[in-house]
Amino acid sequence: MPEGHQSVEQQAISREFTFPGDSESIVAVRESVMTFIKENGANEGQEIDIFVALQEALANAALHGCQNDRAKTIRCWVEIDPSAFTLIIQDPGPGFDVAATTTADPSVNTTEHGRGICLMRSLMDDVSYRRGGSEVRLRKLRDFPRASS
Amino acid sequence: MLRIDIHAVHPNVTLRCSGRIVLGLEAETLRCMATSRTENCLALDLSGVRTLDAAGLGLLVELQCWATRGKKALRIVEPSACVRKLIALTNLQSVLQVACHEKLGGVEGPAGATSTMDAERTMSA
Repeated sequence: MPEGHQSVEQQAISREFTFPGDSESIVAVRESVMTFIKENGANEGQEIDIFVALQEALANAALHGCQNDRAKTIRCWVEIDPSAFTLIIQDPGPGFDVAATTTADPSVNTTEHGRGICLMRSLMDDVSYRRGGSEVRLRKLRDFPRASS
Repeated sequence: MLRIDIHAVHPNVTLRCSGRIVLGLEAETLRCMATSRTENCLALDLSGVRTLDAAGLGLLVELQCWATRGKKALRIVEPSACVRKLIALTNLQSVLQVACHEKLGGVEGPAGATSTMDAERTMSA
């Protein structure tokens, strides 16, 4: 490998966060995750989009996956590579009917709830669920071209 | 963190918000501050709001409904670019009374009484 060359794999960095499953705990973790993302090249627009999507995913994990129970645990993995920011949030809950959220009525929601998944899908480039809905994977592409060498 | 500055000239009041309106202390603080006002015309100045989440958007809808039920006027004025984007993404422009590039006559100005509440300070208290 030429001197100074780094492969995509070598440039990728990741970090894992593990924390209690209550809404108070997610505040500090949210700030830690965002600091990690900002330190690794997110621009202001990406930062705001990721912040909102992360906040929704963490809130859903705490309120629905953990029933706001500090004794339960939420895990969050953040992977940053030259092409994208990827966040995986996993809770110990039973999940939910993911298909129901994709077939929801697209007309305006005039209630006080039910916008979280819509926001995540609007702000991120890819949102996917695994483990029956108890794990959400958020992906935000970087908007600058990769280095050619 | 959410900071709310209150500019009141009866019967109008403007709650000038800066920071984030998100689930938890921030949203709860704005809910309490807004619903405790007795003025008939409320303006939420969101020009300094850097971001809000689904709970923040839900709170705006909740406050709009609360104002309608109480026969009060509530308007969102000067929303920041981020707030405008999120309102548009969720199609709430048809539900919320949003005024851009507009000052409410008589609401703001040096004659207005001013008080400040810092949500972060409350949280650490």
